[in-house]
Amino acid sequence: MRRTLLPGWILLAALAGAPSAAGQQGAPAAPAAGEPLLVLAAASLGDVLPAVAELWRAQGGGPVELSFAASSRLAPLALEGRADLLITADQEWMDWVVERAGARREDVVDLLGNRLVVTVPADAPSALRSLADLASLPRVALAGESVPAGRYAQSALEAAGVWESVAPRVVRGESVRSALEWVARGEADAGIVYRTDLALQPDVRLAFVVPDDVTPRVAYPAAVLASAPRAAEAAALLAFLQSDAAAAVFAAAGFEPPRPATATPVQAPTQSPLPSNRSALALSLIVALAATALGLVPALLLGRLLARRDFPGKTIVTTLILMPLVLPPVVTGFLLLALLGSRGLFGPALAVLGIAVPFTLLAPILAALVVGLPLYVLSVRGAFEAVDPRLEEVAWTLGVRPRPTFFRIALPLALPGIAAGATLAFARALGEFGATVVLAGNLEGRTRTIPLAVYALLEAPGGTRAAWALAGASVLLSLVALAGFELLSRGQRRRLEEGSR
Amino acid sequence: MSAPATVTARALDLAVSLELGKLALRAELATERRAVAIVGPSGAGKSTLLRVLAGVERRATGRIAVGGRTWLDGASGTFVEPWERRVGWVPQNDLLFPHLTVAQNLGFAGAARAQIEETADLLSVASLLDRRPRNLSGGERQRVALGRALLAKPDLLLLDEPFSALDRPLRLDLVRRVRELADRASMMLVLVSHDEGDAAALAEERWQLLDGVLRRA
Repeated sequence: MRRTLLPGWILLAALAGAPSAAGQQGAPAAPAAGEPLLVLAAASLGDVLPAVAELWRAQGGGPVELSFAASSRLAPLALEGRADLLITADQEWMDWVVERAGARREDVVDLLGNRLVVTVPADAPSALRSLADLASLPRVALAGESVPAGRYAQSALEAAGVWESVAPRVVRGESVRSALEWVARGEADAGIVYRTDLALQPDVRLAFVVPDDVTPRVAYPAAVLASAPRAAEAAALLAFLQSDAAAAVFAAAGFEPPRPATATPVQAPTQSPLPSNRSALALSLIVALAATALGLVPALLLGRLLARRDFPGKTIVTTLILMPLVLPPVVTGFLLLALLGSRGLFGPALAVLGIAVPFTLLAPILAALVVGLPLYVLSVRGAFEAVDPRLEEVAWTLGVRPRPTFFRIALPLALPGIAAGATLAFARALGEFGATVVLAGNLEGRTRTIPLAVYALLEAPGGTRAAWALAGASVLLSLVALAGFELLSRGQRRRLEEGSR
Repeated sequence: MSAPATVTARALDLAVSLELGKLALRAELATERRAVAIVGPSGAGKSTLLRVLAGVERRATGRIAVGGRTWLDGASGTFVEPWERRVGWVPQNDLLFPHLTVAQNLGFAGAARAQIEETADLLSVASLLDRRPRNLSGGERQRVALGRALLAKPDLLLLDEPFSALDRPLRLDLVRRVRELADRASMMLVLVSHDEGDAAALAEERWQLLDGVLRRA
C-alpha cells in the first residue's frame, strides 16, 4: 500500500520542492572539491540518513557530514553560517530559522512524514485499542513538551478529547528516545513515539497507530540555508533526498511521504505554558538540601574509614565511590535506573517497601546524592586525614574509649572540613542534570529542578528570557555555595594550624 | 629473706620487640624501682618504647607487666587497651587538644573543678585556665600536658622529654614537684630524656637505649 503512495509523494515533493534544484532532480552534482557538505538533521533521522548519504556517494555525490540533534538545538546552529542543509522534525523550528533569514520561505520543502504510534512493553498484555484507553494506565511516557514528538503526542490526545484524563499519568522524557527507553524498561506502561523509533528497541511492541483523524501533520521540512557555503551542491543533495532511490530507503525505515499541508486540518499543537521558575527553584533547593543531609552519614563513615583504616580492597572501594565523579552523569542515571527502576535489580524489593524511585521526588534526590557523594567523601576524608591521629591516642590513654574520643576530638576538629564538603555536595546537587533527566523525567513541581527547567526553556521557542532568570539564580546560588566552601576550608586550615605549633 | 622477694611483683617487667621500618626495637627491662629513666640518642626508639607502654603502638610483640598487671602477653594473647591501662602519657610534642581551653584539656579525663585548680596551681598554670593552647608558650603547654596526664590518676606516668622547653632552674623545680607527687600517689614513672641531669633528679635507676637495645646504665 505504501508503494502505491510513493509516486504521488515524489510528484508532490517535486512540485513543492526547491526550484533551484528542480532541474537536477535525482542526478548528483559533480564531486565537490574541498570540504564536505554539512547537513544538520533532526535526531530521529539519525538511523536512516547515513544510509541515504551512502547511496548519494555511491552515485557520485560529494562527501557529506551529518550532524544530528534535537531540532531545537539545530535551529540556532543553522544561523551560524557553516551548515548547508537543515532538516528539522517540525515546522515550528524551520519557521524560526526562516524568520531570522536563515533560509528563504520558498526554499523550504516537506521532505518526509512520520507516524505517531502507541507502544507498550514487549511483554505487556495487549488491551490497548484507542487513545482513551491510556487513561486507565498508571504511567504514559511522552517526549518533552518542547520537543516536536512531545507536542505532536499532546495535540493528538487533545484532538481525541482525552488529554484531561491522560495528563495526570504523563511522564515526559527529555527526548522521544528516553520515553521509548522507559517503556522498554517497564517504567512506563505505554508511550507515544514515532513509528520509526520502534525498530530500534526490541523490548517494545506496537499497540496501535494513532488514527489519522487525530494525528497532527508530522513533517520534516528541509531547506538549503541562505548562508550555505556550498549552496549548489546542497540543492543537489536535497533533490537527491527526494528521489525514488532515497525514498525507498526512507520507506524501509518506516518513514512515509509528507501529507499535504491542506489535507489534514488538525489544529496546531497547543503551546504548553512555559515551566514555572518558582517551582523549579524551590524544588532544586529541596533536592539539594535533602541530598546533602542524606549524604552526611555515609560521607562521614566512608571519609573516616578511608582516612584512618587500611583494609583489603580499599582501592576498589575508593574507586567505586569516586566513579560517579568521572562517569558521564547520563550513564550514572542509566545505571541507577537499572538498579532502582521497577524492573531493576532492587526495584521489586523497593516496591515491597512501597518505595518507587523513578519519576518521584526520590529520583532527583538520589541522583544528586550519588553524583555529589564523591566530592563529599573526598572532602570529609581530607578533613579527617588532617587531624593528628596522636590526639586521639592521647585521649585513649586518658581513659576515654574510641567512640567518645571520636565525638570529642576528631569530629569537632574536622567539622569545618566536613561542612566544606557538605557545601560542595550541595553545589553539585544544584547543578545535577544528566542522571536526573534519565531517572526522574522532567515533571514540573515533582522532578523538574533548575537545570531541567533551563533545558526545557531553551527547547521552547521564546523561552530564552525565562531561562535567563533561572540561569541568574543558578549562578548566584553556586557563587554563594562556593564562597561558603572556600570560607569553611580556610576555617579548617586555621583550626588545624592552631593544633600543631 | 627470699620469701617476700618472690611474692612481690616487679614494678616493671617487660620484654618486647618491634620492627618498624629501619627501627628494630628489642627491649628487656625488669626492675623493682618505681622511677626509671631511659636515656639515649635521638632516633634510638625511646619515644616508640613509650608508645608501646601506653598501648597506642599495637604492633609490638612480647610481654609487658606493670605493678603485677599484665598488659601484653603474646603467649596468652593478652592485650590491654590503652583506655584500660591507667597510664599517663605525656608525649614529646605536648599534643594538647587545640579546640579546648586549658581547663577543658586538664579535665578531659573527667576530673572535678577543684582538682583541676589544685593541679594547675602545682604546675603554675592556674592563671591560664581559660586560654586556648595556641595562646600558650612551649613551657606552659608542656606543663598543661603533664597536668592533663596527672589528673587521669594513672598508675604509670610516661614522660617523653617533658620539660625540654623550660630553662634549667624551673625544670629542676618542676621535676622535684612531680617526683614528690608520684611518690605520694604511689605512681610509677618512666622518663625518657637525653638530659642526664633530669634523669638523675627524677629517676632511681637509669637505662640506656642504643640502636634499639636496652641496657642498664
